[in-house]
Amino acid sequence: MPEVAEWERVLLPDIEKNETEWLADYVRKGGYDVARKALDMEPEAIISEVKESGLRGRGGAGFPTGMKWGFLPKGAFPRYLAVNADESEPGTCKDRPLMEQRPHTLIEGIICSCLAIESEMAFIYIRGEYYNGAKILDRAVEEAYREGFLGSNIFGREGRKLDLVVHRGAGAYICGEETALLTSLEGYRGYPKLKPPFPAISGLYGKPTIINNVETIVNVPFILKNGADWFKKWVHERTTGLRLYSVSGHVKKPGVYELPPTVTLKELIHDYCGGMRNDHDLKFVIPGGSSVPWLKPDQIDVPMSHEGVAAAGSMLGSSAVMVCDHTVCPVWALANLSHFYKHESCGQCTPCREGSGWLYKIVRRIEAGDGQPGDLETLYSLAGEGTPGSGMISGKSICALGDAAAWPVGSAIKQFREEFEEHIQLGKCPYKERNISYWMAEGRFVNESFAGTPVP
Amino acid sequence: MLEILKDRTGEIERLIEKYPSRRSAMLPLLWIVQRQEGWVSQESMKEVAEILGVTVAEVYEVVSFYTMFQQKPVGKFHLALCDTLSCAICGTHEIVAYLNEKYGIEKNKVTEDGLFSLELVECIGACANAPALLLNEDLITNLTPANIDAMIAGCRQKAGAPAATA
Repeated sequence: MPEVAEWERVLLPDIEKNETEWLADYVRKGGYDVARKALDMEPEAIISEVKESGLRGRGGAGFPTGMKWGFLPKGAFPRYLAVNADESEPGTCKDRPLMEQRPHTLIEGIICSCLAIESEMAFIYIRGEYYNGAKILDRAVEEAYREGFLGSNIFGREGRKLDLVVHRGAGAYICGEETALLTSLEGYRGYPKLKPPFPAISGLYGKPTIINNVETIVNVPFILKNGADWFKKWVHERTTGLRLYSVSGHVKKPGVYELPPTVTLKELIHDYCGGMRNDHDLKFVIPGGSSVPWLKPDQIDVPMSHEGVAAAGSMLGSSAVMVCDHTVCPVWALANLSHFYKHESCGQCTPCREGSGWLYKIVRRIEAGDGQPGDLETLYSLAGEGTPGSGMISGKSICALGDAAAWPVGSAIKQFREEFEEHIQLGKCPYKERNISYWMAEGRFVNESFAGTPVP
Repeated sequence: MLEILKDRTGEIERLIEKYPSRRSAMLPLLWIVQRQEGWVSQESMKEVAEILGVTVAEVYEVVSFYTMFQQKPVGKFHLALCDTLSCAICGTHEIVAYLNEKYGIEKNKVTEDGLFSLELVECIGACANAPALLLNEDLITNLTPANIDAMIAGCRQKAGAPAATA
């Protein structure tokens, strides 16, 4: 295994220790100094520093954060900030350690962001599965209230206020979609809404609302403290700053890695993650969460920036890298993901509700050996070529879940057409060792030095 | 008239006050119910509706949408095992077989002693520590036969049940 040089880490410097940094520790290290400074800044100055840094949303879409903040209509109050901690894109597991280990950095980020957008109330919408994270955040928020960093007259400033509520979801992928998150927060089913109007105009309770991912918000105090130029030290084209890559699947050391966007997918897999488990061959990689097009081994020598991954024909998304070795049947893997989207479709609009179900049923029957001639054409007509707007689902649904269901299908067939055809011709799955796991055969297969969170 | 939630009205009112709209307390109230009762019954939905000033149908609409709310009783220890890709390629199905063969725990069933139930769920956000499950609300990661044995033994001890027979 090649040696990897120590690299600079800012967001999660001690991820291996898996310890929560509580208020006393955080303040001792200079925590909340940036929030104090931000209180004296003009909101416009905070926004322009964030704009200048090139910070883009870390939830998946990669929209420039400062620009999003600038969409709020002038003079319209109250405004809300909703922090998206729903982290439900399969493969993504970076916001959980951020919240569990650095809750006060997130709270400081929320204070700075609310000062920028002139909001006096913020919510953290955390997925129901992250019970531990919610407990930690609850306690940290309580600490911050007690210290006078949240509530009325924050930091002793007359008339400055900010309330923060930690709100738990209850198991719905769709609530990571920003408008669904808001309807869920209002106490309804998590149904997305048509845009426009965008939430910045009409969001939570019909008021102007900004929704930002946890990692995005955590970056804000660092940018205000060190300046936009510092943040742009790590740059590839229009992707700036260090970022958290979640790597899962068949690598020796799965984990959450904080790296610059210049790191290549190949380095990430073969150097940082120690290469393939059991020295197996790489079959394919899903580089940005389960919704994005798949890449084959000859496509991975690309920088893990929005532009780098796009040039390879996929998307950086939530920078969640799922790695599959040669024992994984691509048809089986696609059936697994298609089941996910069918299950998670909210059922509100027809192209997604029906389309995701059709996709799953057809892929499943091919995998089970009941594939029919013409099935691949049917899949193509539904899912398109794995590009936005092609096929009968993508671009035709209320929100992007329809696209997310369609893209992997078009891309998997494009990458592994022969294997799909082989399934149909043979009437069975040719993978003898399909879905093999070393779990029973070799006991603990996870490398002991993984950079993730250990068993509680 | 509140029965199930009657001792918690103070806590509930403080919770509702946090939100600009009363209805926003819907999910938090349902979580209070589920943590207390283990599941969300029709009776408890009526109480939540009464507290929030909405119809029972509106509460049911929400309960039936969110997969973590149980609409019928589950085991004292409910295992929600992740079956999405990153976990599935790392042994979810072997774990199902292991739980079944060694402990008689079956998918979508409650064991006869009422202690355990098992459900396969979609991604729970522990992808880099696969395979993973939620034991009630706690995340257990990097599952192996050894730590499953430890987990089950821990649950049995907590419940005052005798150790499992192999």
